[in-house]
Amino acid sequence: MPGRVKKRSPLKAPERPYIAIGLEGSANKLGVGIIKHSPDGSVDVLSNVRHTYITPPGEGFLPRDTAQHHREWALTIINDAVSKAGVSLHDVDCICFTKGPGMGAPLVSVALVARTLSLLYNKPLVGVNHCVGHIEMGREITGAQNPVVLYVSGGNTQVIAYSQQCYRIFGETLDIAVGNCLDRFARVINLSNDPSPGYNIEQEAKKGKRLLPLPYTTKGMDISLSGILTSTEAYTTDKRFRPNGPSAEDGEDIITPQDLCFSLQEHVFAMLVEITERAMAHIGSKEVLIVGGVGCNERLQEMMGVMASERGGKVFATDERYCIDNGIMIAQAGLLSYRMGYETPLAKSTCTQRFRTDQVHVAWRA
Amino acid sequence: MSSQSRSATMALLEHAETISQGAEAKIYRGRLHPSSSSEGPDAPPVLFKYRFHKQYRHPTLDVSLTKSRVAGEARALIKCLRSGVNVPGIRMVDAAEGVIGIEWIEGKSIRFLLGGGAEDEEVVVDDSDDTVEEEASPAEDPLQEYGLTKDAVMLMIGKEIAKMHKADIIHGDLTTSNMMLRHPSSLKGLQLVLIDFGLSYTSTLVEDKAVDLYVLERAFASTHPQSEPLFAAVLTAYEREMGKDWAAISRRLDDVRLRGRKRSMVG
Repeated sequence: MPGRVKKRSPLKAPERPYIAIGLEGSANKLGVGIIKHSPDGSVDVLSNVRHTYITPPGEGFLPRDTAQHHREWALTIINDAVSKAGVSLHDVDCICFTKGPGMGAPLVSVALVARTLSLLYNKPLVGVNHCVGHIEMGREITGAQNPVVLYVSGGNTQVIAYSQQCYRIFGETLDIAVGNCLDRFARVINLSNDPSPGYNIEQEAKKGKRLLPLPYTTKGMDISLSGILTSTEAYTTDKRFRPNGPSAEDGEDIITPQDLCFSLQEHVFAMLVEITERAMAHIGSKEVLIVGGVGCNERLQEMMGVMASERGGKVFATDERYCIDNGIMIAQAGLLSYRMGYETPLAKSTCTQRFRTDQVHVAWRA
Repeated sequence: MSSQSRSATMALLEHAETISQGAEAKIYRGRLHPSSSSEGPDAPPVLFKYRFHKQYRHPTLDVSLTKSRVAGEARALIKCLRSGVNVPGIRMVDAAEGVIGIEWIEGKSIRFLLGGGAEDEEVVVDDSDDTVEEEASPAEDPLQEYGLTKDAVMLMIGKEIAKMHKADIIHGDLTTSNMMLRHPSSLKGLQLVLIDFGLSYTSTLVEDKAVDLYVLERAFASTHPQSEPLFAAVLTAYEREMGKDWAAISRRLDDVRLRGRKRSMVG
């Protein structure tokens, strides 16, 4: 905010290098990352390994199967991350894991791995809020100082701004998350889940030309997405809809899956950019940081860029390595709180499916 | 809209002075007849709210949104005026261009008066010469000038919102920056005025009214952390004005509050 006195960061420079391992498995990605904080203030990503559970087209991932995937891959991924980083698990300072929010079964299976490692190597555990992990990693990678954060993924849609040691939620979805909306539509038109349904929607949308009317549902700083999904789905039963593209005898007035992807993206992203802009105007910030899986979408980044430049601001976005769920962000956020003296005792190393971003005490920021 | 009237609206804006740029619109202070001599220099100024074209939005989507929002805002204001709710009067509407001209209100926003700082978006109120710096000394209570206590202001807020809800208008964006106190020295005297109906709509549902109140409650908590207990006074006045309808809204408000917490991370 303008005119604010610059406060000193409560986080002291480390007197020795700190290393943390982060384990993430709140949804269908299992990620392990190792991060190093050096005394000169630099942060190094030593390794960042991920394996995604991909389901056949038309199917989503179920908690039980996802948890099983994580259990099967945990050891491979951890070994991979450790050997790529060139450190031993004896060298790490703390073991960070996702406490929530996310799907229960996958969370629990990854937390179990974290607890086991903690006992095996006698290292402290640090439970991390998944959303805060995204924000901290985004800040670290892009160097954004005090941005308005748009956090968009399969399970979350929030506009967040920092104030007084808390990431406050200014706006959020009232029903389903934006990634969920896109993924579910990908299922309706039978798009592949590889590498991700959202990516395939984005590619299809590039071929779409026709903007079909859909609801535009911003509610102040909040948005609602479930009705848009229903309306888009309804077009697939329209008699003008051609699932396999136009045939020779078709005129102009037809609807293709590409048009639907295009229209869906244009509407949903315009709403996201609008609520972000409202938050920026509200707190007087000129920086936007986009995090979360949907943040990879180049159309969203482009629209956000136009909005920010109209306001004389700047957009910060990361690529798929850091946008999509990963272990390194858990390590980063966990290590920050570990350096502030925070640890999660074994008896409290539980998971929770509901863990709001604003419930976390952000001790490491002024 | 003919091209001639289009340029006429834009000409008005050219003669007007830019006040601020909010999230959605640019705000200007100007006059309806800038060139005519029949209007003296002390004719009342008009506030123009120009919803300019958003480059990031698809043009088709942008045009239809702008049109419906300008028309919606004008409709809500007219309905409020008819029902005796204190809102700025309408001076002109050009939905195609995205311009609405409303009465200029001499006064300050409640957000400012409660010490929440001036919001970038709403510097409309800071036009006078005695503009106070953002880092104003807390010793001076800006409310003194209006001869009111904080509690009295809260009662006025509650009453005004209740009047609006009785007319079945939902504001949609109730915050302390969207309310102003008209200065006692102005023509209509001291008044609490609700502004910015850009997100308003008509509804008879208890649900919508409760959510409207909940939005204001959240705004109080985030913008004025110290004055949170004051919100109780808003509800007291609201209850008094609403009469028998209050019971249902109160029950629903309790529900909505819970929902806000439960809503966490579902999706």
